Amino acid sequence: MTEHEGYNLRLYVAGQTPKSIAAIANLKKICDQHLPGRYEIEIIDLMKDPALAMRHQIVAIPTLIRQLPEPLKRIIGDLSNAEKVLIGLDIRPN
Amino acid sequence: MSPDDPKLPLFADADETIQAIHQGDIDAIVVTRSLEGPQVILLHGAEEPYRVLVERMSDGALTAGPDGVILYVNDRLCELTGCPSARLVGRDLVSLFEGEPPTLVPEVTAEASLSRNGQHAMPVAVWSRPISIGGTMATLVRLTDLSIHRRAEQIAAAERFARSVLEQATEAVVVLSPDGRITHASWRAEQLAERPPSGCTFSEAFPLEAQSAEGTGTLARFSAENLDAMLATRPFHGVEVKLRGKSNAKSAYLLSAGPLIDDNKATVGSIVTLTDITERKHAEEQQTMMVAELNHRVKNILAIVQSVAAQTMRSSGSLESFSDAFTGRLKALAIAHDVLTETRWIGIGLSELLTAVLAPYRSSDESRVSIVGSAIMLPARAVVPLSMVLHELATNAAKYGALSTRRGNIEITWQVTGDIEKSIELIWQERGGPQVKAKTSTGFGTKLIERVVRHDLDGNAKIDFDPAGVRWRIGFPVGGLAGSHAEAFGSFTA
Repeated sequence: MTEHEGYNLRLYVAGQTPKSIAAIANLKKICDQHLPGRYEIEIIDLMKDPALAMRHQIVAIPTLIRQLPEPLKRIIGDLSNAEKVLIGLDIRPN
Repeated sequence: MSPDDPKLPLFADADETIQAIHQGDIDAIVVTRSLEGPQVILLHGAEEPYRVLVERMSDGALTAGPDGVILYVNDRLCELTGCPSARLVGRDLVSLFEGEPPTLVPEVTAEASLSRNGQHAMPVAVWSRPISIGGTMATLVRLTDLSIHRRAEQIAAAERFARSVLEQATEAVVVLSPDGRITHASWRAEQLAERPPSGCTFSEAFPLEAQSAEGTGTLARFSAENLDAMLATRPFHGVEVKLRGKSNAKSAYLLSAGPLIDDNKATVGSIVTLTDITERKHAEEQQTMMVAELNHRVKNILAIVQSVAAQTMRSSGSLESFSDAFTGRLKALAIAHDVLTETRWIGIGLSELLTAVLAPYRSSDESRVSIVGSAIMLPARAVVPLSMVLHELATNAAKYGALSTRRGNIEITWQVTGDIEKSIELIWQERGGPQVKAKTSTGFGTKLIERVVRHDLDGNAKIDFDPAGVRWRIGFPVGGLAGSHAEAFGSFTA
């Protein structure tokens, strides 16, 4: 995985809420389909440590943050609209 | 608000979040409360999340429909306006404002005046954004209390002003908090204080001398603690005090205190000043002394005049002779006082006095009355008595003695004896006049001379009826006081 192409994604969730679960599932699906082998996902559970929300000023949950490639991008929601997610993360569909 | 205002990004996110809630995309939010730190709050239902978010905003917020009618207000807005939500919902948005209502341009902050129930209008920043609620276009309006910012700015400006006033003050000024501790001090106050004044009570920084009952008795009754409490709460007007502290030993001050009042007319401390009145007090003391001295002298003169009048009366056969004699003596007295005034009552040289008193007899021919002797200063207290004596001597000489004929003359000489305690031995020698017999002259004049020399000059006078001419020997001390004035210029001939 080259730096140039790798995606570093961080998903902020709140424990086992319906949308948190949905977001995790949807994200995995999108990444597997459109970024095979080129992604890294970090799941941050704010129920466990709310202070972590400060890093990216998270207000809404779930929120997906694309850390790499820069610039930072943010998508709020359960990521059920794949098309929107691709556009939001600037990923060319596979 | 400028585009650089750090608050802007957060506004944008809040709006995005509201949208996300409406669209049902999220089911939890992070809320940060200052004391507790961030917390995750789970949301239920469709409308509920929106309300929760807006409720938790620290600004006033409302939703207005497309026609400008208020649909919803948060608690904070009720607080700001002083109206319950029932009184706000259903009203026109513009009715919330005093004067010009703000023009709502999406995501642009405007300033306006928010009407408040029973209070002054509050300056607010107004930010708005169109949102969709269940498919209908509405406007989210957020109102931020600017008065807090303004108040903080005003306070900062007032603080700067107060500091600069204190810095310019030439007197010692301190500001006390309501609990009696010094919060501000002028430069002069810092100099006067026993220790760095900040944080101390007034008594700790400026210990006062316990006052004697005379002048400033009011302060003597209070202990240091009581004084501090009084200074913080009650006005004082110009109480004289002395600072206890070796460097301030001689200085007197005027202590004044007045309350410090804020906008709401509440007392928030006091301002205490210490005005240096040392010079003023000194001047006052001098003044008092001078007045007392003057009084004393006037009484003296009146007493002399009275005595002269009484005694002249006793020896005068007629009113006319009384008038002549009395007038003569008063004139001599007046001359003596003129002389004293010219030297500001310090004293005068014997030679100068003789010259002044005997001037009338030397006007056509100075050698008629010769005055020879060393320079010696007479103390003020000797001037009048000696003048009176000289007047009598001259009058007698004019009536019966050397000055009654053209050939006669008077020779006045004197010697100064002694070192620190000097004495004058003056000789009045008449020559060339008709022979004066003892009997002719033991009148009032002689008695006066003897009495005055004895009582007023502490000296002695002796008359000698020499066939060549009358001779008076008059000796008197010029005392310790004169010692400081006596100067030897060397022989002096007038």
